[in-house]
Amino acid sequence: MTSGPAAAEPTDAAAAEALARQYGLSRVDLVPTFRAYVRELWTRRAFISELAVANAYSRNQNNYLGQLWATLNPLMLAGSYFLIFGLLLKTDRGVDNFIGFLTIGIFMFSFIAASVTAGAKSITGNQNLIRALRFPRASLPIAVTMAEILTLLPALGVLMVLLPLTGEPIRVDWLLIPVAVVLLFAFCAGAGMLAARLVSASRDMLNLIPVTVRLLRYVSGVFFSIEAYAGHGWISAVLQYQPVSVYLNLMRGLLLVEDEQNPLLWVFGAVWAVVFLVAGSLLFWRAEQHYGRG
Amino acid sequence: MAVGDPSVVAHDVHVRYRTYGGKRNALRPPEENALNRVLGRATSHVGAVNEVHAVRGISFVAHEGDSVGVIGRNGSGKSTLLRAVAGLVPIASGQVYARGNIALLGVNAALMSSLTGARNVMLGCLAQGMTRREAREAYDGIVDLAGIGDFVNLPMKTYSSGMAARLRFAISSATTPDVLVIDEALATGDAEFRERSAERVQEIREEAGTVFIVSHSLSSVTSMCNRAIWVEEGAVRADGDPKEIGAMYTEFVAQRRKDKGGR
Repeated sequence: MTSGPAAAEPTDAAAAEALARQYGLSRVDLVPTFRAYVRELWTRRAFISELAVANAYSRNQNNYLGQLWATLNPLMLAGSYFLIFGLLLKTDRGVDNFIGFLTIGIFMFSFIAASVTAGAKSITGNQNLIRALRFPRASLPIAVTMAEILTLLPALGVLMVLLPLTGEPIRVDWLLIPVAVVLLFAFCAGAGMLAARLVSASRDMLNLIPVTVRLLRYVSGVFFSIEAYAGHGWISAVLQYQPVSVYLNLMRGLLLVEDEQNPLLWVFGAVWAVVFLVAGSLLFWRAEQHYGRG
Repeated sequence: MAVGDPSVVAHDVHVRYRTYGGKRNALRPPEENALNRVLGRATSHVGAVNEVHAVRGISFVAHEGDSVGVIGRNGSGKSTLLRAVAGLVPIASGQVYARGNIALLGVNAALMSSLTGARNVMLGCLAQGMTRREAREAYDGIVDLAGIGDFVNLPMKTYSSGMAARLRFAISSATTPDVLVIDEALATGDAEFRERSAERVQEIREEAGTVFIVSHSLSSVTSMCNRAIWVEEGAVRADGDPKEIGAMYTEFVAQRRKDKGGR
């Protein structure tokens, strides 16, 4: 049936490999070494940031006020806490500036939850892109984390304007906020890559993410001080130094006067960032060839 | 055209992919046993993941300067095969070897349909490994080639299918790939676009590139290709001169239609 093509077709795998080697061809499904992979990601950094900007921009483009909502949304959210806890309910739960404490907690926690959730969906939700273009797949979870950072920045701006209204002085410590954001980015990118790898291995994992987020919300001291409630035992220590509460309290230490800067929090913040980034990218890289599978 | 060195070597390639949301065992024949049938029906909504064995052992060698047309019916595995050649979907077993950069131009290669054409141009260029500066320099040429005018500042979901195809083609031709895979992408364009894309395919072949064209249109395969591969049910049915293969394929389709009519 087959009328002969131009060159002899190799009859077995070894002959195919020999022919490929003779003409300098390499396997299309070859996974680069981890170092080469990271280098390749670095050369695509413009692609990653463009993807992140596009992603963040497209969230607020289907209405009249458009990108103004990036600032209006956190403003309204903070306004509603101000209304409820500043004017209607007088609870402080062992915290002096409860409005500030709560607003920072909610903003930071929503950022972490949103970026891990979006990271988890970044592979299964972008199959069109994956099946059309060749690029290091880790670009996708990293880009969605970056997009979440871009939505966090206006929220941080809103915080810095509103906190003085609740009686917080503007301090030099605020200059360290970018450092905390970088640590947060590394942690969330790593967690996002881990989640993306799990979800692409089995999509059923996606159903576990909302539960995990809810659990984390209650054990991370988003709306109460862990120290005030759990005391000083080892349970309290675990709760305080798990990554999510570390980053929440790191930010509170920077923005609120009553929370003293705790050097141990910075150490933990850095360690968690490195651990998650390294583990996440290693695990993600190992399955690089399988992300087009659906 | 003289045939150059081998540029793509595929040996016994198998591709399986997963589909979600059908029914369990949707692709298997019905159970003979009554009990199993009832059990199967009761649990068919759990574990509704099916594996499609789309490509079943395909081998070929393509050469520099080759333009290979891949023909076959819908669902015969043509597109999956070429995505595997481009390294975009994983290969279950077998090997594909190729040189350098491979570009795939597909019908649904729209990067992000909610974004403007301009942003998609930037994204497409950067994803192919250009720097920001190179992308900016290529931008005007791409928009020009696509000929979509002011629409470039509107979201791609507002484009007609022809306009979207033109823009995608322009983005992919910004770089000269070693291997270009065109998946049905030329079908929606008008006559001018088809002429322009045929020119571009010719240029790539002259620059020692290899082009694969997936198409239902036999006329475009016979006019643009020097070789045709006919894929049927995931395997190569015939491989050779486009005119001969085209004739065999036409006869096969006519025969099938006659068989169906007679039933």
